[in-house]
Amino acid sequence: MTARKSSTRAKTTLLFAFLPLLLFTPAKAYGYADPGTGAFLYQAFYAAFLGGTFYLRKLLDRVWKRRR
Amino acid sequence: MLIGEAAEARTPSPQSFRDPAGTLFEDGKRILRQVNPEDAAGLEAFLATKTAARAIGRGALVGSLRLSDHLYEHERIPFPSYPCEWPPEMLHAAGELTIELARSALEEGYGIKDATPYNVLFRGSRPVFVDVLSFESRDPRDPTWLAYGQFTRTFLLPLLANRETRIPLASIFAAQRDGLEPEAVYRLLGPLRRLLPPYLNLVSIPKWLSGRETPSTYRPKLAASAGQARFILDRILRGCARQLRSLAPARRASKWSGYIAPERTAAVSYTPSQFAQKEQLVRDALAIARPREVFDAGANQGHFSFLAAGTGASVVAIDSDEACAGAIWREASKRSLNVLPLVVDLTRPTPAMGWRNRECAPFLARARHGFDLVMMLAVLHHILVTERIPLEELFALAEELTRDYLLIEFVGSDDPCFKRIVRGRDRLYSHLTRECFEAAASARFDLVSSTRIDGMERWIYLYRRRRAIS
Repeated sequence: MTARKSSTRAKTTLLFAFLPLLLFTPAKAYGYADPGTGAFLYQAFYAAFLGGTFYLRKLLDRVWKRRR
Repeated sequence: MLIGEAAEARTPSPQSFRDPAGTLFEDGKRILRQVNPEDAAGLEAFLATKTAARAIGRGALVGSLRLSDHLYEHERIPFPSYPCEWPPEMLHAAGELTIELARSALEEGYGIKDATPYNVLFRGSRPVFVDVLSFESRDPRDPTWLAYGQFTRTFLLPLLANRETRIPLASIFAAQRDGLEPEAVYRLLGPLRRLLPPYLNLVSIPKWLSGRETPSTYRPKLAASAGQARFILDRILRGCARQLRSLAPARRASKWSGYIAPERTAAVSYTPSQFAQKEQLVRDALAIARPREVFDAGANQGHFSFLAAGTGASVVAIDSDEACAGAIWREASKRSLNVLPLVVDLTRPTPAMGWRNRECAPFLARARHGFDLVMMLAVLHHILVTERIPLEELFALAEELTRDYLLIEFVGSDDPCFKRIVRGRDRLYSHLTRECFEAAASARFDLVSSTRIDGMERWIYLYRRRRAIS
Protein backbone atom coordinates (compact mmCIF):
# COMPACT_ATOMS: atom_id res chain seq x y z
CA MET A 1 0.00 0.00 0.00
CA THR A 2 2.79 2.38 1.03
CA ALA A 3 4.78 1.41 -2.09
CA ARG A 4 1.77 2.19 -4.31
CA LYS A 5 1.34 5.59 -2.58
CA SER A 6 4.96 6.53 -3.10
CA SER A 7 4.80 5.41 -6.74
CA THR A 8 1.71 7.62 -7.32
CA ARG A 9 3.53 10.51 -5.63
CA ALA A 10 6.55 10.00 -7.88
CA LYS A 11 4.33 9.98 -10.97
CA THR A 12 2.59 13.19 -9.84
CA THR A 13 5.97 14.79 -9.22
CA LEU A 14 7.16 13.84 -12.70
CA LEU A 15 3.96 15.17 -14.25
CA PHE A 16 4.41 18.47 -12.42
CA ALA A 17 8.07 18.56 -13.35
CA PHE A 18 7.44 18.39 -17.09
CA LEU A 19 4.12 20.22 -17.13
CA PRO A 20 5.80 23.53 -18.07
CA LEU A 21 6.85 22.02 -21.38
CA LEU A 22 3.18 21.65 -22.22
CA LEU A 23 2.24 25.05 -20.82
CA PHE A 24 4.63 27.21 -22.85
CA THR A 25 2.60 29.54 -25.05
CA PRO A 26 3.59 31.93 -27.86
CA ALA A 27 4.78 35.44 -26.95
CA LYS A 28 6.14 38.60 -28.58
CA ALA A 29 9.78 38.43 -29.81
CA TYR A 30 12.32 40.75 -28.18
CA GLY A 31 15.89 41.73 -29.00
CA TYR A 32 17.89 41.80 -32.22
CA ALA A 33 20.97 39.70 -31.38
CA ASP A 34 21.24 36.47 -33.38
CA PRO A 35 20.06 33.74 -30.97
CA GLY A 36 22.09 31.09 -32.86
CA THR A 37 20.74 27.63 -33.58
CA GLY A 38 22.44 25.01 -31.41
CA ALA A 39 22.83 27.35 -28.45
CA PHE A 40 19.18 28.40 -28.75
CA LEU A 41 17.93 24.81 -28.76
CA TYR A 42 20.25 23.95 -25.88
CA GLN A 43 18.80 26.87 -23.92
CA ALA A 44 15.25 25.79 -24.78
CA PHE A 45 15.85 22.26 -23.42
CA TYR A 46 17.68 23.59 -20.39
CA ALA A 47 14.84 26.08 -19.77
CA ALA A 48 12.30 23.25 -19.95
CA PHE A 49 14.34 21.26 -17.46
CA LEU A 50 14.61 24.31 -15.18
CA GLY A 51 10.86 24.88 -15.54
CA GLY A 52 10.39 21.36 -14.22
CA THR A 53 12.68 21.88 -11.29
CA PHE A 54 10.71 25.06 -10.45
CA TYR A 55 7.56 22.97 -9.84
CA LEU A 56 9.55 20.25 -8.18
CA ARG A 57 11.00 22.78 -5.80
CA LYS A 58 7.57 24.23 -5.04
CA LEU A 59 6.20 20.75 -4.42
CA LEU A 60 9.07 19.84 -2.14
CA ASP A 61 8.71 23.15 -0.28
CA ARG A 62 5.02 22.38 0.29
CA VAL A 63 5.76 18.86 1.52
CA TRP A 64 8.51 20.20 3.76
CA LYS A 65 6.21 22.86 5.22
CA ARG A 66 3.43 20.31 5.84
CA ARG A 67 5.83 18.02 7.66
CA ARG A 68 7.01 20.86 9.88
CA MET B 1 14.42 71.16 -28.16
CA LEU B 2 17.06 72.97 -30.19
CA ILE B 3 19.58 70.33 -29.17
CA GLY B 4 17.16 67.61 -30.24
CA GLU B 5 16.74 69.18 -33.65
CA ALA B 6 20.50 69.51 -34.02
CA ALA B 7 20.94 65.79 -33.30
CA GLU B 8 18.27 64.84 -35.79
CA ALA B 9 20.14 66.76 -38.49
CA ARG B 10 23.50 65.17 -37.60
CA THR B 11 24.98 62.05 -39.19
CA PRO B 12 24.75 59.04 -36.86
CA SER B 13 27.94 57.61 -35.38
CA PRO B 14 29.22 55.00 -37.88
CA GLN B 15 29.03 52.16 -35.32
CA SER B 16 25.46 52.92 -34.30
CA PHE B 17 23.01 51.25 -36.65
CA ARG B 18 22.23 47.77 -35.32
CA ASP B 19 19.90 48.64 -32.48
CA PRO B 20 16.53 49.70 -33.87
CA ALA B 21 15.69 51.47 -30.59
CA GLY B 22 18.02 54.45 -31.05
CA THR B 23 21.08 56.03 -32.59
CA LEU B 24 24.30 57.54 -31.24
CA PHE B 25 25.69 60.85 -32.44
CA GLU B 26 29.03 62.46 -31.77
CA ASP B 27 28.87 66.20 -31.41
CA GLY B 28 32.47 67.31 -30.95
CA LYS B 29 33.39 65.77 -27.62
CA ARG B 30 29.77 65.10 -26.67
CA ILE B 31 28.09 61.73 -27.01
CA LEU B 32 24.38 62.06 -27.74
CA ARG B 33 21.78 59.33 -28.11
CA GLN B 34 18.53 59.78 -29.96
CA VAL B 35 15.94 57.26 -28.71
CA ASN B 36 12.90 56.24 -30.73
CA PRO B 37 9.69 57.68 -29.25
CA GLU B 38 8.27 54.20 -28.50
CA ASP B 39 11.44 53.21 -26.56
CA ALA B 40 12.05 56.50 -24.73
CA ALA B 41 9.64 55.81 -21.86
CA GLY B 42 11.19 52.38 -21.34
CA LEU B 43 14.69 53.84 -21.13
CA GLU B 44 13.54 56.51 -18.71
CA ALA B 45 11.92 53.86 -16.53
CA PHE B 46 15.08 51.72 -16.59
CA LEU B 47 17.28 54.68 -15.64
CA ALA B 48 15.00 55.17 -12.63
CA THR B 49 15.57 51.60 -11.36
CA LYS B 50 17.81 50.74 -8.42
CA THR B 51 19.96 48.63 -10.77
CA ALA B 52 20.73 51.65 -12.97
CA ALA B 53 21.21 54.04 -10.06
CA ARG B 54 23.59 51.70 -8.23
CA ALA B 55 25.56 50.88 -11.40
CA ILE B 56 25.86 54.54 -12.44
CA GLY B 57 26.85 55.44 -8.87
CA ARG B 58 29.81 53.07 -8.89
CA GLY B 59 30.77 53.87 -12.49
CA ALA B 60 29.74 50.49 -13.93
CA LEU B 61 27.02 51.97 -16.17
CA VAL B 62 27.59 55.02 -18.34
CA GLY B 63 26.12 58.24 -16.95
CA SER B 64 23.12 59.51 -18.95
CA LEU B 65 21.58 62.96 -18.87
CA ARG B 66 18.16 63.50 -20.43
CA LEU B 67 18.31 66.60 -22.62
CA SER B 68 14.85 66.41 -24.16
CA ASP B 69 12.06 63.85 -24.62
CA HIS B 70 14.05 61.54 -26.84
CA LEU B 71 17.60 62.82 -26.52
CA TYR B 72 20.22 61.82 -23.95
CA GLU B 73 23.80 62.86 -23.41
CA HIS B 74 26.22 60.22 -22.16
CA GLU B 75 29.40 60.64 -20.23
CA ARG B 76 32.37 60.28 -22.59
CA ILE B 77 34.71 57.36 -21.84
CA PRO B 78 38.21 58.77 -22.43
CA PHE B 79 39.75 56.15 -24.74
CA PRO B 80 37.42 53.75 -26.54
CA SER B 81 38.84 50.26 -27.04
CA TYR B 82 37.55 47.09 -28.67
CA PRO B 83 37.58 43.40 -27.65
CA CYS B 84 40.28 42.65 -30.26
CA GLU B 85 42.58 44.91 -28.20
CA TRP B 86 41.82 43.38 -24.80
CA PRO B 87 43.74 40.71 -22.94
CA PRO B 88 41.48 37.82 -21.82
CA GLU B 89 41.32 39.31 -18.31
CA MET B 90 39.46 42.33 -19.69
CA LEU B 91 37.04 40.25 -21.76
CA HIS B 92 36.35 38.25 -18.62
CA ALA B 93 35.72 41.42 -16.59
CA ALA B 94 33.37 42.73 -19.30
CA GLY B 95 31.47 39.41 -19.23
CA GLU B 96 31.17 39.49 -15.44
CA LEU B 97 29.75 43.01 -15.58
CA THR B 98 27.25 42.01 -18.28
CA ILE B 99 25.93 39.06 -16.26
CA GLU B 100 25.91 41.02 -13.00
CA LEU B 101 23.80 43.79 -14.57
CA ALA B 102 21.54 41.26 -16.29
CA ARG B 103 20.84 39.49 -12.98
CA SER B 104 20.25 42.70 -11.12
CA ALA B 105 17.96 44.05 -13.87
CA LEU B 106 15.99 40.78 -13.90
CA GLU B 107 14.95 41.38 -10.30
CA GLU B 108 13.34 44.63 -11.41
CA GLY B 109 11.61 43.22 -14.49
CA TYR B 110 14.23 44.12 -17.11
CA GLY B 111 16.22 42.02 -19.51
CA ILE B 112 19.36 42.52 -21.56
CA LYS B 113 18.54 42.13 -25.23
CA ASP B 114 22.13 41.78 -26.46
CA ALA B 115 25.17 40.45 -24.65
CA THR B 116 28.25 41.48 -26.57
CA PRO B 117 31.58 42.88 -25.37
CA TYR B 118 30.97 45.86 -27.68
CA ASN B 119 28.50 47.06 -25.01
CA VAL B 120 31.43 47.57 -22.67
CA LEU B 121 34.27 50.09 -22.65
CA PHE B 122 37.00 50.53 -20.06
CA ARG B 123 37.63 53.59 -17.95
CA GLY B 124 41.22 52.84 -16.96
CA SER B 125 41.03 49.21 -15.87
CA ARG B 126 37.34 49.37 -14.87
CA PRO B 127 34.66 48.09 -17.25
CA VAL B 128 31.74 50.41 -18.00
CA PHE B 129 28.54 49.19 -19.64
CA VAL B 130 27.77 51.86 -22.21
CA ASP B 131 24.73 50.64 -24.10
CA VAL B 132 21.80 51.73 -21.95
CA LEU B 133 19.36 50.70 -24.69
CA SER B 134 20.36 47.07 -24.12
CA PHE B 135 18.01 47.04 -21.17
CA GLU B 136 14.36 46.55 -21.94
CA SER B 137 11.27 45.80 -20.00
CA ARG B 138 10.66 42.08 -20.38
CA ASP B 139 7.47 40.09 -20.67
CA PRO B 140 7.17 38.70 -17.12
CA ARG B 141 6.33 35.22 -18.47
CA ASP B 142 9.12 35.07 -21.06
CA PRO B 143 11.66 32.46 -19.91
CA THR B 144 14.06 32.84 -22.85
CA TRP B 145 17.23 34.91 -22.88
CA LEU B 146 17.63 35.56 -26.59
CA ALA B 147 21.13 36.90 -26.06
CA TYR B 148 22.35 33.62 -24.51
CA GLY B 149 23.83 32.45 -27.82
CA GLN B 150 25.58 35.78 -28.31
CA PHE B 151 26.98 35.70 -24.78
CA THR B 152 28.37 32.23 -25.49
CA ARG B 153 29.86 33.27 -28.85
CA THR B 154 31.41 36.53 -27.72
CA PHE B 155 32.49 35.81 -24.13
CA LEU B 156 32.59 32.14 -23.19
CA LEU B 157 33.88 30.53 -26.38
CA PRO B 158 36.63 33.12 -27.09
CA LEU B 159 37.82 32.74 -23.46
CA LEU B 160 37.71 28.96 -23.81
CA ALA B 161 39.59 28.98 -27.14
CA ASN B 162 42.11 31.46 -25.76
CA ARG B 163 42.74 29.28 -22.70
CA GLU B 164 43.00 26.01 -24.58
CA THR B 165 44.83 27.03 -27.73
CA ARG B 166 46.41 30.39 -26.74
CA ILE B 167 44.79 31.88 -29.84
CA PRO B 168 44.91 35.64 -29.16
CA LEU B 169 41.59 37.46 -28.78
CA ALA B 170 42.85 39.85 -31.48
CA SER B 171 42.79 36.99 -33.98
CA ILE B 172 39.25 36.05 -32.97
CA PHE B 173 37.62 39.47 -32.85
CA ALA B 174 39.53 41.06 -35.71
CA ALA B 175 38.20 38.31 -37.97
CA GLN B 176 34.72 37.84 -36.46
CA ARG B 177 32.71 40.61 -34.89
CA ASP B 178 30.30 38.15 -33.32
CA GLY B 179 32.91 35.87 -31.76
CA LEU B 180 33.17 32.10 -32.21
CA GLU B 181 30.48 29.63 -33.23
CA PRO B 182 30.40 26.34 -31.26
CA GLU B 183 31.17 24.51 -34.52
CA ALA B 184 34.48 26.38 -34.89
CA VAL B 185 35.59 25.42 -31.36
CA TYR B 186 34.32 21.83 -31.77
CA ARG B 187 36.86 21.30 -34.55
CA LEU B 188 39.69 22.28 -32.17
CA LEU B 189 38.74 19.65 -29.59
CA GLY B 190 39.74 15.99 -29.42
CA PRO B 191 37.03 13.25 -29.19
CA LEU B 192 37.34 12.79 -25.42
CA ARG B 193 37.35 16.48 -24.58
CA ARG B 194 34.14 16.99 -26.51
CA LEU B 195 32.39 14.88 -23.88
CA LEU B 196 33.78 16.68 -20.84
CA PRO B 197 32.47 19.82 -19.17
CA PRO B 198 32.57 22.69 -19.98
CA TYR B 199 33.10 21.64 -23.61
CA LEU B 200 30.08 19.34 -23.59
CA ASN B 201 27.43 21.99 -22.85
CA LEU B 202 29.22 25.01 -24.33
CA VAL B 203 30.44 23.43 -27.54
CA SER B 204 29.40 19.84 -28.28
CA ILE B 205 25.67 19.83 -27.45
CA PRO B 206 25.03 23.15 -29.29
CA LYS B 207 27.05 21.77 -32.22
CA TRP B 208 25.06 18.52 -32.32
CA LEU B 209 21.79 20.46 -32.05
CA SER B 210 22.61 22.97 -34.76
CA GLY B 211 20.71 22.43 -37.96
CA ARG B 212 17.91 20.61 -36.09
CA GLU B 213 15.69 23.67 -35.79
CA THR B 214 12.17 23.60 -37.17
CA PRO B 215 9.97 26.57 -38.20
CA SER B 216 8.44 26.56 -34.71
CA THR B 217 11.79 26.61 -32.88
CA TYR B 218 12.07 30.38 -32.77
CA ARG B 219 8.39 30.99 -32.05
CA PRO B 220 8.62 32.71 -28.66
CA LYS B 221 7.16 30.74 -25.76
CA LEU B 222 5.74 31.86 -22.45
CA ALA B 223 6.10 30.09 -19.14
CA ALA B 224 3.04 29.20 -17.05
CA SER B 225 3.77 31.94 -14.54
CA ALA B 226 5.97 35.00 -14.07
CA GLY B 227 7.64 33.30 -11.10
CA GLN B 228 8.58 30.30 -13.20
CA ALA B 229 9.98 32.48 -16.01
CA ARG B 230 12.08 34.48 -13.56
CA PHE B 231 13.33 31.31 -11.90
CA ILE B 232 14.42 29.90 -15.28
CA LEU B 233 16.14 33.12 -16.40
CA ASP B 234 17.90 33.55 -13.09
CA ARG B 235 19.23 29.97 -13.28
CA ILE B 236 20.40 30.52 -16.88
CA LEU B 237 22.22 33.72 -15.89
CA ARG B 238 23.71 32.00 -12.83
CA GLY B 239 24.91 29.21 -15.11
CA CYS B 240 26.60 31.78 -17.37
CA ALA B 241 28.26 33.38 -14.35
CA ARG B 242 29.48 29.95 -13.21
CA GLN B 243 30.86 29.13 -16.67
CA LEU B 244 32.55 32.51 -16.78
CA ARG B 245 34.16 31.92 -13.37
CA SER B 246 35.51 28.58 -14.58
CA LEU B 247 37.08 30.36 -17.56
CA ALA B 248 38.79 33.09 -15.51
CA PRO B 249 42.19 33.56 -17.20
CA ALA B 250 45.12 32.29 -15.18
CA ARG B 251 48.20 34.43 -14.74
CA ARG B 252 50.61 33.23 -17.41
CA ALA B 253 54.15 33.87 -18.45
CA SER B 254 55.43 34.71 -21.89
CA LYS B 255 58.85 35.51 -23.27
CA TRP B 256 58.17 39.20 -22.53
CA SER B 257 56.62 38.99 -19.08
CA GLY B 258 59.17 40.06 -16.49
CA TYR B 259 61.39 41.55 -19.22
CA ILE B 260 62.01 44.74 -17.27
CA ALA B 261 60.95 43.70 -13.78
CA PRO B 262 63.53 45.06 -11.33
CA GLU B 263 64.14 41.63 -9.80
CA ARG B 264 64.98 40.24 -13.24
CA THR B 265 67.06 43.11 -14.56
CA ALA B 266 70.33 41.18 -14.32
CA ALA B 267 68.86 38.52 -16.58
CA VAL B 268 67.89 41.12 -19.14
CA SER B 269 70.20 44.11 -19.28
CA TYR B 270 69.89 46.43 -16.28
CA THR B 271 71.53 46.06 -12.93
CA PRO B 272 69.26 47.12 -10.05
CA SER B 273 71.12 50.44 -9.72
CA GLN B 274 70.83 51.12 -13.45
CA PHE B 275 67.15 50.35 -13.28
CA ALA B 276 66.76 52.69 -10.29
CA GLN B 277 68.50 55.43 -12.30
CA LYS B 278 66.15 54.88 -15.24
CA GLU B 279 63.18 54.98 -12.89
CA GLN B 280 64.40 58.30 -11.46
CA LEU B 281 64.79 59.72 -14.99
CA VAL B 282 61.18 58.78 -15.75
CA ARG B 283 60.06 60.40 -12.49
CA ASP B 284 61.97 63.57 -13.41
CA ALA B 285 60.35 63.64 -16.86
CA LEU B 286 56.91 63.22 -15.29
CA ALA B 287 57.67 66.10 -12.93
CA ILE B 288 58.60 68.34 -15.88
CA ALA B 289 55.80 67.31 -18.24
CA ARG B 290 53.09 67.03 -15.53
CA PRO B 291 50.93 65.08 -18.00
CA ARG B 292 47.21 64.46 -17.65
CA GLU B 293 47.24 61.79 -20.35
CA VAL B 294 50.14 59.43 -20.95
CA PHE B 295 50.76 56.86 -23.67
CA ASP B 296 53.18 54.06 -22.83
CA ALA B 297 54.27 52.15 -25.95
CA GLY B 298 55.74 48.71 -25.29
CA ALA B 299 54.66 48.92 -21.66
CA ASN B 300 55.72 45.34 -20.82
CA GLN B 301 54.27 44.77 -17.32
CA GLY B 302 53.44 48.41 -16.79
CA HIS B 303 56.16 49.46 -14.35
CA PHE B 304 56.46 52.95 -15.86
CA SER B 305 52.74 53.21 -16.63
CA PHE B 306 52.10 52.75 -12.91
CA LEU B 307 54.65 55.45 -12.10
CA ALA B 308 52.80 57.84 -14.43
CA ALA B 309 49.39 56.84 -13.06
CA GLY B 310 50.76 57.47 -9.56
CA THR B 311 51.17 61.15 -10.46
CA GLY B 312 47.45 61.36 -11.30
CA ALA B 313 47.72 60.85 -15.07
CA SER B 314 45.43 58.57 -17.00
CA VAL B 315 47.54 56.10 -18.94
CA VAL B 316 46.98 54.05 -22.07
CA ALA B 317 49.59 51.27 -21.98
CA ILE B 318 50.05 49.12 -25.06
CA ASP B 319 52.02 45.95 -25.56
CA SER B 320 51.82 43.39 -28.32
CA ASP B 321 52.01 40.59 -25.75
CA GLU B 322 48.67 39.43 -24.31
CA ALA B 323 50.27 38.09 -21.12
CA CYS B 324 51.92 41.47 -20.43
CA ALA B 325 48.71 43.45 -21.00
CA GLY B 326 46.88 40.95 -18.80
CA ALA B 327 49.43 41.40 -16.03
CA ILE B 328 49.07 45.20 -16.26
CA TRP B 329 45.28 44.88 -16.01
CA ARG B 330 45.52 42.69 -12.90
CA GLU B 331 47.87 45.07 -11.16
CA ALA B 332 46.02 48.22 -12.20
CA SER B 333 42.72 46.72 -11.00
CA LYS B 334 44.24 45.61 -7.71
CA ARG B 335 45.80 49.01 -7.05
CA SER B 336 42.89 50.99 -8.59
CA LEU B 337 45.27 52.76 -10.96
CA ASN B 338 44.00 54.65 -13.97
CA VAL B 339 45.77 52.50 -16.55
CA LEU B 340 44.11 51.09 -19.64
CA PRO B 341 46.22 48.19 -20.94
CA LEU B 342 45.69 47.17 -24.56
CA VAL B 343 47.12 44.41 -26.72
CA VAL B 344 48.32 46.56 -29.59
CA ASP B 345 51.46 46.30 -31.67
CA LEU B 346 52.59 49.85 -32.44
CA THR B 347 54.06 48.70 -35.74
CA ARG B 348 50.79 47.03 -36.78
CA PRO B 349 48.11 48.98 -34.91
CA THR B 350 44.45 47.96 -35.02
CA PRO B 351 43.04 48.82 -38.43
CA ALA B 352 39.61 50.24 -39.23
CA MET B 353 37.11 47.38 -39.02
CA GLY B 354 33.52 46.47 -39.56
CA TRP B 355 30.88 47.67 -41.96
CA ARG B 356 32.40 50.03 -44.55
CA ASN B 357 35.54 50.05 -42.36
CA ARG B 358 33.74 52.53 -40.11
CA GLU B 359 32.41 50.54 -37.17
CA CYS B 360 35.69 50.37 -35.25
CA ALA B 361 37.97 53.35 -35.63
CA PRO B 362 41.64 52.50 -36.25
CA PHE B 363 43.88 52.71 -33.21
CA LEU B 364 45.93 55.65 -34.47
CA ALA B 365 42.81 57.70 -35.22
CA ARG B 366 41.73 57.22 -31.59
CA ALA B 367 45.20 57.94 -30.23
CA ARG B 368 46.05 60.90 -32.47
CA HIS B 369 47.21 63.86 -30.35
CA GLY B 370 45.56 62.21 -27.39
CA PHE B 371 48.46 62.44 -24.94
CA ASP B 372 50.57 65.07 -23.20
CA LEU B 373 53.40 62.61 -22.84
CA VAL B 374 54.33 59.64 -25.01
CA MET B 375 56.79 57.15 -23.49
CA MET B 376 58.80 54.78 -25.68
CA LEU B 377 61.09 53.02 -23.24
CA ALA B 378 63.25 50.06 -24.26
CA VAL B 379 61.16 49.64 -27.37
CA LEU B 380 63.10 51.57 -30.01
CA HIS B 381 65.38 48.70 -31.07
CA HIS B 382 62.40 46.37 -31.55
CA ILE B 383 60.74 48.90 -33.85
CA LEU B 384 63.93 49.71 -35.78
CA VAL B 385 65.40 46.22 -36.05
CA THR B 386 62.62 43.66 -35.77
CA GLU B 387 60.12 45.67 -37.79
CA ARG B 388 62.65 47.69 -39.85
CA ILE B 389 60.82 50.97 -39.39
CA PRO B 390 62.98 53.99 -40.36
CA LEU B 391 63.90 56.41 -37.55
CA GLU B 392 62.25 59.36 -39.32
CA GLU B 393 58.99 57.40 -39.49
CA LEU B 394 59.19 56.63 -35.79
CA PHE B 395 59.46 60.31 -34.89
CA ALA B 396 56.65 61.15 -37.33
CA LEU B 397 54.44 58.68 -35.46
CA ALA B 398 55.52 60.08 -32.08
CA GLU B 399 54.60 63.57 -33.29
CA GLU B 400 51.22 62.24 -34.36
CA LEU B 401 50.56 60.81 -30.90
CA THR B 402 51.82 63.48 -28.52
CA ARG B 403 50.43 66.91 -27.90
CA ASP B 404 53.56 67.92 -26.03
CA TYR B 405 56.32 65.64 -24.68
CA LEU B 406 58.13 62.52 -25.88
CA LEU B 407 60.23 60.42 -23.50
CA ILE B 408 62.28 57.96 -25.50
CA GLU B 409 65.08 55.55 -24.68
CA PHE B 410 67.84 55.27 -27.24
CA VAL B 411 69.38 51.81 -27.35
CA GLY B 412 72.80 51.81 -29.04
CA SER B 413 73.91 49.10 -31.44
CA ASP B 414 76.49 47.87 -28.87
CA ASP B 415 73.75 47.16 -26.30
CA PRO B 416 73.45 43.38 -25.62
CA CYS B 417 69.68 43.47 -26.23
CA PHE B 418 70.22 45.26 -29.54
CA LYS B 419 72.84 42.69 -30.57
CA ARG B 420 70.54 39.85 -29.57
CA ILE B 421 67.84 40.88 -32.01
CA VAL B 422 70.23 41.93 -34.80
CA ARG B 423 71.31 38.30 -35.10
CA GLY B 424 74.39 38.86 -37.21
CA ARG B 425 72.95 41.62 -39.41
CA ASP B 426 75.19 44.24 -37.75
CA ARG B 427 76.17 45.93 -41.03
CA LEU B 428 72.52 46.64 -41.80
CA TYR B 429 72.16 48.68 -38.60
CA SER B 430 75.60 50.28 -38.35
CA HIS B 431 74.07 53.66 -39.26
CA LEU B 432 71.85 53.67 -36.16
CA THR B 433 74.11 55.90 -34.11
CA ARG B 434 73.14 58.39 -31.44
CA GLU B 435 73.96 61.25 -33.83
CA CYS B 436 71.65 59.81 -36.45
CA PHE B 437 68.91 59.38 -33.78
CA GLU B 438 69.31 62.98 -32.58
CA ALA B 439 69.25 64.34 -36.13
CA ALA B 440 66.01 62.48 -36.89
CA ALA B 441 64.45 63.74 -33.66
CA SER B 442 65.52 67.35 -34.24
CA ALA B 443 63.38 67.56 -37.40
CA ARG B 444 60.25 67.48 -35.25
CA PHE B 445 61.21 67.85 -31.58
CA ASP B 446 63.24 70.14 -29.33
CA LEU B 447 65.53 68.50 -26.83
CA VAL B 448 64.67 69.09 -23.17
CA SER B 449 67.20 66.72 -21.61
CA SER B 450 69.25 63.62 -22.34
CA THR B 451 70.98 61.40 -19.82
CA ARG B 452 73.04 58.26 -20.24
CA ILE B 453 72.25 55.34 -18.01
CA ASP B 454 75.50 54.64 -16.18
CA GLY B 455 77.58 51.92 -17.78
CA MET B 456 75.07 51.22 -20.54
CA GLU B 457 74.67 51.95 -24.22
CA ARG B 458 71.33 53.55 -23.40
CA TRP B 459 70.23 57.17 -23.13
CA ILE B 460 66.93 58.62 -21.94
CA TYR B 461 65.81 61.62 -23.99
CA LEU B 462 63.02 64.01 -23.13
CA TYR B 463 61.78 65.93 -26.15
CA ARG B 464 59.09 68.50 -26.72
CA ARG B 465 57.22 68.78 -29.98
CA ARG B 466 58.11 71.83 -31.98
CA ARG B 467 55.00 72.48 -34.04
CA ALA B 468 51.77 73.37 -32.32
CA ILE B 469 48.84 71.12 -33.13
CA SER B 470 46.79 72.68 -35.89
